[in-house]
Amino acid sequence: MKRLLSSNCLWITIVLLILLIFPWIQRSQYSQHVMVMTMMAAVLASSWNILGGYAGYTSLGHAAFFGLGGYLVALAHNHFGWHPFISTWFLAFIVTGVALILGWISLRTQGSAFVVVTIAMVFIFRIVALNLASITNGARGLTQARPGWAGVPWSPEFIKIPFHYIMLLLLCLTIFVSWRIRQSKFGLGLIAIREDEGKAEAVGINTMLYKVLAFGISAYFMGVAGGIYSYFFTYIDPQFIFDIFTGVTMVLIAILGGRGTLWGPVLGAFIMEPLGNWIIGTFGGTQIHLTIFGAILLIVMLFMPQGILPTLSEVIRQRGKVKLAKVPS
Amino acid sequence: MTVPSTHLLIQTIILGILVGGVYALMASGLTLIFGVMRVINVAHGAFLIFAAYCTYWLFQLVRLDPIISIVLTAPLLFVLGWVIQRYILSRIESPERSSVIITFALAVTLEGLMGTLWKTTIRSVKPEYASEVLKFATYRFPVTRLAGFAAALLVLLILYIILERTNLGRAIRATIQDRNAAQLVGVNVQMVSAITFGIGIATAAAGGSLLSMIYSFNASSQTDWITRVLSVIVLGGMGSLPGAFIAAIILGVMEQLTAVVLTLYWSPIVFYLFLFLTLIFRPQGLMGTVVREKA
Amino acid sequence: MPEKNMLEVNHISKAFGGIKAVDDCSLCVERGSITGLIGPNGSGKTTLFNMVTGFYPPDSGTISLNTQPIQNLLPSQICHRGIGRTFQITRLFWKMTVLENMIVPVRHTGWRTLFSRGVKRHEEERAMELLDLVGLTQYRDEEAGKLSFGQQKLIEFAAILMSDPELILLDEPAGGVNPVMIEKIMELVDDLNQQGKTFLVVEHNMRLVMELCQQIVVLDHGQKIAEGKPAAIQNDPIVLEAYLGSTNHAGT
Repeated sequence: MKRLLSSNCLWITIVLLILLIFPWIQRSQYSQHVMVMTMMAAVLASSWNILGGYAGYTSLGHAAFFGLGGYLVALAHNHFGWHPFISTWFLAFIVTGVALILGWISLRTQGSAFVVVTIAMVFIFRIVALNLASITNGARGLTQARPGWAGVPWSPEFIKIPFHYIMLLLLCLTIFVSWRIRQSKFGLGLIAIREDEGKAEAVGINTMLYKVLAFGISAYFMGVAGGIYSYFFTYIDPQFIFDIFTGVTMVLIAILGGRGTLWGPVLGAFIMEPLGNWIIGTFGGTQIHLTIFGAILLIVMLFMPQGILPTLSEVIRQRGKVKLAKVPS
Repeated sequence: MTVPSTHLLIQTIILGILVGGVYALMASGLTLIFGVMRVINVAHGAFLIFAAYCTYWLFQLVRLDPIISIVLTAPLLFVLGWVIQRYILSRIESPERSSVIITFALAVTLEGLMGTLWKTTIRSVKPEYASEVLKFATYRFPVTRLAGFAAALLVLLILYIILERTNLGRAIRATIQDRNAAQLVGVNVQMVSAITFGIGIATAAAGGSLLSMIYSFNASSQTDWITRVLSVIVLGGMGSLPGAFIAAIILGVMEQLTAVVLTLYWSPIVFYLFLFLTLIFRPQGLMGTVVREKA
Repeated sequence: MPEKNMLEVNHISKAFGGIKAVDDCSLCVERGSITGLIGPNGSGKTTLFNMVTGFYPPDSGTISLNTQPIQNLLPSQICHRGIGRTFQITRLFWKMTVLENMIVPVRHTGWRTLFSRGVKRHEEERAMELLDLVGLTQYRDEEAGKLSFGQQKLIEFAAILMSDPELILLDEPAGGVNPVMIEKIMELVDDLNQQGKTFLVVEHNMRLVMELCQQIVVLDHGQKIAEGKPAAIQNDPIVLEAYLGSTNHAGT
């Protein structure tokens, strides 16, 4: 076990180093862009995983918090001049507050009902954003100034690099929190809720509190990511951001990599996001990426619902067992 | 906010009822599927749109009237539904937990396929009577709405007859009430599930054919429609057909009233709010059975 | 000066649909006793348990623990007040290890403990102590779902002891278990009772009930029909009628 742990540490250090120097080894704008999006997908899937993986409550509506973060940051930038790289960390607490309230209401439902409730939630956000045009600019969306610092816009060759590092920071933070939760009593409680919620309640776990907390914590990282996102693209609009497809992508990534594990969502993101970008790049304006995503999710849910990481570790364990059996007694 | 005149109010309410009838037809299959299999078929909206596209192409190619085309689309989608249940959905071990994601994946796949095949162009079917309006006293109603309502009632009647007067219907109702008990008295529940799913998708076909002439649509409309249909069955009580009918009328009327009192762009929120609030505060809806607390 | 009656159930009723599962039922559990709750199948015993532990509120009536009303509390709050409970059909966190199953019920006292390390040294020690009590220490890292039926029952019992409850509700502890295991369970309950724990036991196994319990309450069709010492209950014609007259026989 200890050997595994230190080999884990080794891997993490190597990957972290690669990610740190990435913008200097890959000068291509496109690659840098995809890497930022990939890390963002990992953030979204990992924070989704806190409620969806550990506690087993599938939310398809987390795009609501992603979008809310995006809007808050864009508005603060446009009205008060707050730089998104700083404001997003604070404004995301507002997102968390909203999430705690919504979570307290909606977590009375369970299972399929909860999934449907989160779908309704996203669409309510969308309609409100579309119609409160005086604040949100409605269907036209919100634009921001070109990314830069202290009034000086960044050059096109440089522009992706600050986003790379802030997203890397967010990713590290998200993974760290997810890891700490997993190791803690809180995490154990969430897993107990997933295994048998009634029993968890019976042995003294205040399931509502735990669930709402998980909902709120995952919303925080979504909110921060959303704030960075709206700045990255300098544009957000309700139709695109308040959509279940974002939620489905998070779910697909987390499930593909291994729902409920620490690294599964990250692995899933590093597979699906570049793949998705390649598909959109190659097949362009068609809807084929929807078909492929849908088909992958379908196949994974039907044939490999544990995801890659648990299946892999199971395979390794089985092979280990076989090896042991062959050793003469 | 505009306060409507009494005349407008009555017209809006009647229009809401006409609209509600079609919603009831669309929702009937979904609630039936839930009742028998405990599966929330989130792909229902995608099937609606698929049928709408089929109707559209039938109309483009042979000028087949959308209402008549139900005779073709319903059997076609029955077979499609039966196949999907038999070979894909029956594999799900715990439907309560995973059916939403799986059927959602199905919906997304279908949306992608339709979008790839038929692009994002907005379509709608316009038979000769498309722009005609029928006048009753001072009230005016589009012929398509009236025809749609009548057709919806007819198909619902057929569905009712199947459920109440045939052996198959009895088997279905028994399975809805208690799957295990039905199995014990000799009902082949796997067969019933496959057939019910087929029937459910067939009614979606009928709904979709009507949709094509009353509304405009493209592949991405399926998410709008699934949320509408979901809110109907949730409000009505999942698994209850009479509940779905009543809920559909209520929601239809509320939608039209919202469009008149606020704006058209606020009206979809009726569905989302009802869906959200009903699931949280009265999950059994109007006529569903109370699910016992997990102890 | 602690109350004589630890648990007081006063005139509680619960109906599901049109059926009254519990009908104006009252009973007391004396501090330090092992009280048995018996009755034919469907007499409302498990429903009563579910109400005492907070899974549903009674339609009417009150439930008090140490004179404090508990009928409107959450199950987790009732657990923290000192009531532990096993289930008729054993419930464990199947995919977790036995040790983790033992750790989950540990009471945590505030926000800091919530985010603290999952398994603390002293908790692990206590868990191992309890596992030793039931003779299952070697299974600590096994997946709970992989153990045998009898072992799972013992784990469930040991786990609820982690939160150090004063009152323990056992729902058919001898159900589906071999005679040797039954003896073991009886010993455990007796030992814990000597140490001061109070028990309320639902059981169909009459030998266990008569030997172990100091006081017995009999339910039929949701109502209390008899109450008293084992000897009195054994010879009570009303009780015999309830069992023989019903379609479900109590086993021995």
